[in-house]
Amino acid sequence: MPAEAAQQMEALEAQAQCLMGTFVRAGYEQIAPAIIQPAGLFLDVIGEALRARTYVFTDPDGEELCLRPDLTVPTCRLHLARHPAGGVPARYCYNGPAFRYQPGGATGVHPSEFRQAGIESFAAPDREQDDAAVLALIVGALREAGLRDFQLRIGDLGLFSALLGALSMPARWRRQLRHHFWRPEAFRAELARLSSREALQAHDLPRELLELPDGADRREAQARLEDYLERSGIELVGTRTSAEIAERLLAEAADARETPLAPAIARLIENYVAVKAPASEAASMLQGLVERHGVDVSAALGVFQRRLDLIERAGVDLDGAMFAAEFGRNLEYYTGFVFEIITPRLGAQSSVAGGGRYDSLMVDVGAPAPVPAVGSCIHTERLLAVLNGGAA
Amino acid sequence: MSDKLVLALPSKGRLMEQCADMLAKAGLVVAKSGSARGYRGEIAGLPDVEVNFVSSSEIAQFLKTGAAHLGITGEDLLRETMADCDARVDFLKPCGFGFADVVVAVPAAWLDVRRMADLEEMAVSFRRVHGRRVRVATKYMNLARRFFSQKGVTGYRLVESLGATEGAPAAHQAELIVDITTTGATLRANGLKVLDDGVILRSQANLVSSRLAAWSARLREVEREVAAKLSR
Repeated sequence: MPAEAAQQMEALEAQAQCLMGTFVRAGYEQIAPAIIQPAGLFLDVIGEALRARTYVFTDPDGEELCLRPDLTVPTCRLHLARHPAGGVPARYCYNGPAFRYQPGGATGVHPSEFRQAGIESFAAPDREQDDAAVLALIVGALREAGLRDFQLRIGDLGLFSALLGALSMPARWRRQLRHHFWRPEAFRAELARLSSREALQAHDLPRELLELPDGADRREAQARLEDYLERSGIELVGTRTSAEIAERLLAEAADARETPLAPAIARLIENYVAVKAPASEAASMLQGLVERHGVDVSAALGVFQRRLDLIERAGVDLDGAMFAAEFGRNLEYYTGFVFEIITPRLGAQSSVAGGGRYDSLMVDVGAPAPVPAVGSCIHTERLLAVLNGGAA
Repeated sequence: MSDKLVLALPSKGRLMEQCADMLAKAGLVVAKSGSARGYRGEIAGLPDVEVNFVSSSEIAQFLKTGAAHLGITGEDLLRETMADCDARVDFLKPCGFGFADVVVAVPAAWLDVRRMADLEEMAVSFRRVHGRRVRVATKYMNLARRFFSQKGVTGYRLVESLGATEGAPAAHQAELIVDITTTGATLRANGLKVLDDGVILRSQANLVSSRLAAWSARLREVEREVAAKLSR
């Protein structure tokens, strides 16, 4: 977009005022975080995948900076600058530009420079209540701006964690499966590995490092590793210590002794990830799925259902809302409830709004302890395109 | 701009000599025109060809934008410079020299990291211990990023390295590297090993044609002539 027409700018301005008005009336403080952000911290938090789409540059001092690719991380940083401990309840709203390189070339609904209008809520005591409040406010703001025809899609990463927690397996397997949840292929590969006795054997490791006596601790594993490296003439270079390497070898040794995941359990996990259902039927459907395996995730399903009730009570119509268990993949920093609002006009690939809970992001940005956080933002150019009914 | 076919060739080093040899064997004798230090040249008997001597990575850039019609450079540089390499250039002929594998290499002492999947798990515990992401030093930022994403590895950060990348882990500038290797000797000398599934690309020098250059029927004729001589 070489320049935007005055008419387009005025329409975006008017729309932004309407959205921000709704947020401010709901008690959200309007903020304007810095557009230029330190690249180091930002990229450490958002990861290399988004980095490929982030405009990074060097200032005359040699400092690495970036144009913010979203406003959530800058808002977290602003909050921490005010409250270094993080855990002070606060609600912020913003409207401002964000920048993302579009590999296939920028288009009207995928511009490289766009404006996000959004809200973030930190340290609220009741998570489900706050999830519902944030979703309801975003839906309310969209309605206020004139949007009528849209669909809500929801997911809940907490349910997946609960399912893993209810299945019997070593804690580190749960960590790995949760970690790989974002990457469907890696997830399937990991599930296959954990289900195969053969694959758990680590045949390509020297036996002496794998066959540790029962109850061997890290110190012992470390001693064996150092001895092995010494005899093999391998020098330990770099940042990682032999203790760190030994720790993971110990985990591999434990995996080799472990009973693989039963095929039925691996199938249950696969079936869970594949669940798609109307939001109102999701809880009973998931209940039916796990019950057959004698697995109890009723507490997490209770939380899920309570949130749905709170959403409805907050005035959001859930008819037509869809639940997908795998929804949330590719949005790496979310930890719980996730949602997206899509329109028939722009389709599922170009949602007009999205958001969710990200309880661990604040720690990544520098908070001493996790801070409950939920937020959402509206893609204002897309919203305007839908409302104008013009060419997308 | 002239309406000549621009052939971009490496301006220095072993690659320059090997290119000159290959062309000479095919009966294409390249002579530098103007002063001996000039960066222009011509080929005896092919008045429609103008030779530009530039650095290997610039050749990739020239072919990407169409500033050169033909060029000889490494596939690694071509794929690094263009995400959509196959849409912008045609590979006419592998040259049989300039061999280099682009690989993911980690300290050999990392017995717990043998495959790319291990790397992702290691990255998680590294971040827990050190409070930051594991760093990968490379000059192949795009190749590395694409390969890591293909393999489902995400918990890392790229650090641009402009030379002596293999020394980055020992110097604590990065924990691992993506770099080129031919025999692996330099990696071994620096206490590094290649991951089992860590070969990103087996590269060599190629004669490449840019789709974006200003082609005329006559220049296509010249291209065919050059390619035919080199293929004999």
